[in-house]
Amino acid sequence: MKKIIAIIRNEKVEETKSALRKIDVKGITFLHVTGRGLQKGMIPSRRLPAGGCPPYIGRHPLLRQDDVPVSAHLTNRPTENERKPGFLPKRMLIIVANDSDVKPIIGVLIATNRTGCHGDGKIFVCPMISAIRVRNGEQGDSALV
Amino acid sequence: MKMIWAIIRPEYSQKVIDALEKIGISAMTRLHATGHGAEMGITAGLVNYSEIPKEMLMLVLSDIDAAHAVKIISTTAKTWQKENSGHGAVGDGKIFVTYVEDAYTIRTAECRGTGADPPGKTGNTV
Repeated sequence: MKKIIAIIRNEKVEETKSALRKIDVKGITFLHVTGRGLQKGMIPSRRLPAGGCPPYIGRHPLLRQDDVPVSAHLTNRPTENERKPGFLPKRMLIIVANDSDVKPIIGVLIATNRTGCHGDGKIFVCPMISAIRVRNGEQGDSALV
Repeated sequence: MKMIWAIIRPEYSQKVIDALEKIGISAMTRLHATGHGAEMGITAGLVNYSEIPKEMLMLVLSDIDAAHAVKIISTTAKTWQKENSGHGAVGDGKIFVTYVEDAYTIRTAECRGTGADPPGKTGNTV
């Protein structure tokens, strides 16, 4: 049993949900998180691909006063003031799956969320010892189905 | 590779983030959480507050970096109090460390860890 933690763009959530439904993924947990990667929450202007990055929509309610507004990252040349590191709103998906289902799930997650821009997110796979269904106390693999 | 879940006081989170950045660890995820520890929250008179707001930081690091990060978090998130000669206070938080087998970067479909290349890497959409 494995736990898959994926951190993806907010605007890709619906697409990811329907894609995962197609390969029959039963349970997903969604979390609103803020975070940053090695770019410290900034999109380096030089590395933008020819097609440009998908637009970010509005300001996230979870962003705080000290966070950089999302619109600051839309400009290719941010001013010095805007270039301070910030936390960007993301969605965290937690999926617990059998070992054999991990590869296809990761394949779908990458295929739907890959835009080629920085900030596409990360997927982590962690070992999971057991799962328990609260309703009837079922344990192990049968608790997942 | 290790995953660190650190539950810390919200007012200390910026301090911890700055301290981690100073040693070169800038990638992390932050989420709000509420909870209580072994002390069952705070009881003021007849009222018990069991859901105390906390901040959760999630970091995935190499084994060596993880050891450094744990040290930095545990020293920075600690409240210093004169009365207990700097031993911290109840509610300073917890740090949990778990294993991570694979870490994929979605942008490049690269995998770091024990797993082989994911199916998306060669362009096929599974």
